Amino acid sequence: MDNEHPLTSAVIRGKRKEVPPLVQECLDAGESAQSIVEGRLVPAMKTVGDRFKNNEIFVPEMLIAARAMKAALGILEPLLVEAGIQPEFKALIATVEGDLHDIGKNLVSMMWKGANIEVIDLGVNITPAKFAEAVVEHKPDIVGLSALLTTTMPAMRDTIDAIRATAVTTKIVIGGAPVTQDFADEIGADGYAQDAGTAADIALGLLQSA
Amino acid sequence: MSAITVILDDGSRHEIDASDATATRTLAGYLEAHGFPLNTRCGKRGICCGCEVELSDGSTVKSCQIAAMGVQSVNIPGRSRMDHQPQVGETFRIDIPTAHQPIFESVEGVRDTAFAIDLGTTTVVVMLIDLTTGDILARAGGFNEQIRFGDNVLTRIDAARDPAILNDLQAAVTKATFPPLIASACERAGRSPGRLAGGVIAGNTTMLHLLVGEDPTPLGIAPFTPRFIAGRQLTCADIRLAIDGLNTPLPIHLLPGIAAFIGSDIVAGIYATGMMYDQQPSLLVDIGTNGEIVLQHEGQLTTCATAAGPAFEGGGLRCGTRARDGAISRLELTLDPCQIEAEIIGDIPLSRAAGVCGSAYIDFLAEAREAGLLTTSGRFDPSRWNSLPASHRVEDDDERALRLAGQDGRGGMVVSEVDIAVILQAKAAIGAGIDILLEASGIEADQVGKVYLAGGFGMHLDVSHAIEIGLLPGFNTEQVEVVGNTSLAGAMLATIDKSTFKEMEEIRTHTRVIELNSQEGFEDCYIDHLMLP
Repeated sequence: MDNEHPLTSAVIRGKRKEVPPLVQECLDAGESAQSIVEGRLVPAMKTVGDRFKNNEIFVPEMLIAARAMKAALGILEPLLVEAGIQPEFKALIATVEGDLHDIGKNLVSMMWKGANIEVIDLGVNITPAKFAEAVVEHKPDIVGLSALLTTTMPAMRDTIDAIRATAVTTKIVIGGAPVTQDFADEIGADGYAQDAGTAADIALGLLQSA
Repeated sequence: MSAITVILDDGSRHEIDASDATATRTLAGYLEAHGFPLNTRCGKRGICCGCEVELSDGSTVKSCQIAAMGVQSVNIPGRSRMDHQPQVGETFRIDIPTAHQPIFESVEGVRDTAFAIDLGTTTVVVMLIDLTTGDILARAGGFNEQIRFGDNVLTRIDAARDPAILNDLQAAVTKATFPPLIASACERAGRSPGRLAGGVIAGNTTMLHLLVGEDPTPLGIAPFTPRFIAGRQLTCADIRLAIDGLNTPLPIHLLPGIAAFIGSDIVAGIYATGMMYDQQPSLLVDIGTNGEIVLQHEGQLTTCATAAGPAFEGGGLRCGTRARDGAISRLELTLDPCQIEAEIIGDIPLSRAAGVCGSAYIDFLAEAREAGLLTTSGRFDPSRWNSLPASHRVEDDDERALRLAGQDGRGGMVVSEVDIAVILQAKAAIGAGIDILLEASGIEADQVGKVYLAGGFGMHLDVSHAIEIGLLPGFNTEQVEVVGNTSLAGAMLATIDKSTFKEMEEIRTHTRVIELNSQEGFEDCYIDHLMLP
């Protein structure tokens, strides 16, 4: 993995302002949007996730890196769409009904994009019915449910039930500060991500074993 | 097995009867029932380490997660016990002129005493006021006994979904918390409880719901609609509050709040600071278990709540503690050579400090950043770190921490990089909240006349350090006024000046609430504030 590349390094270090010109340099040098994502950004986010898991970096640094990643994707995503490039896997993500806190969800979303998964972000405060509707429309391979408040955890159960009641087969991962593995097992989620650092591994593990 | 030996930090041993220990009863529940309540701040869910104890085989366990049956002896470390008394924000500054026109009918020498209560999520303060003179007679403070159901409002709202627990939560306040504090304040004031004429209570919206036994469930889920928010009048009997030596049904007034996360404690603060009448823009920042911010600009009040968490009260930090005896409240740090000077509440040497409180973490961040020991992302600078004497460097579990040893090389308190990350998130939540409020009103930090910093945490704070690390971003020290427990101040004013209620109702109905999470630009602003300047 080439963490030495200026773009990869800038994303890892969270240098948001350095990122757009570096992306442009890669494009000018003839690299395709797809190869920039796969060769420069995916390794960056993999490193960020690994460092977080190893306690080398903490939440603030991960948020700062994810924001730099977002700046790169802001340029590249339209190009990917234009070129008709579709990642292998598609994910749907949102905070559950009653929960407006989305910084954690946005971070997981960026970690998933960094694992080269297409992410459709429904936003915040999404009812079970809306989740089910979106699952039918987008047919994602995986769905992420986020809750920051202890009090909105029960909505996760209802959301899983609603998604399971559709004809679409999809993996469901839950996460958020108050969530535990026990709770994930209890409500029938396929996976539990204890933090944004492990969210990509958990998702890829479920998707690749499916 | 018929007895469990409890060993405390001071070496004392206590035999407790264990004949009723069962496989389903947790050790934490059992110890609590036998006079050793532990810090079960996560609501006995096993996700915090507040109730950790050591068993006879040397293993450390979360006592809420194991059965009492079969346990022979437990070592309870001081940090896991609930019986230390907090030092609570008992002092405050009142900036508004008041009239003397008590809300309760009083007869001098007979029924001439009122109580004001600040009902906080973590701590509760009771104050007695002489209705004839308006003088403060005595104060008493202690923990909110609801803590064992969870250390924050959300875990308590969650617990209260069960009506039986809602009932227990109410009793934890009205039976276990208030009566001993009122009794002790009466004793200190030398007044019999029979002379009480009534009381006023301020607290966050969740606390007031639990106080009156209202189901707080809607407060935990968007759109966060309170079951009541206006001021309320009731009697002791309505909230099952019984005070020894008092037979008549005492009138109780609850101050009005603004929204689910902007409670009557904040209305009390707006009123007590007089900020709504300031000629220039002014800001109230109340840092407690939650952080709330209010901005007044051209008479318009705008407010928001932040998800700052309990870090400034020591929550979630390796050696964190609330401001209490034995807590390090101020720190001075210089490098080359490395020297650490600490101020400790209660005149205790650094080697025996019991914890580090929020104000000292802020000193640490500011001084370590200034000295180049910390980078802008809050990590120890590698070369600076390596040049520290080995006695100050602690490295375990891949985590680096600075040991706060004094000149004599003694002292076990540490500040770790994880602690710093937690503090940075808390300060970013407040700093970003302030920026968003200012932006929403189209003003800059230097246009603000006064910044009122409320909450017990502010009392030990070096304001210039709070500004340096971006907790109060862009302000200067002359703007900042530390005002203390303004929730208590507002409740106290309401007892002696009945016009207070009318004005507080005005505040309640004329304050605009901003939901930070729904603000365009909040996330970006928050991430910017995660850095150290």
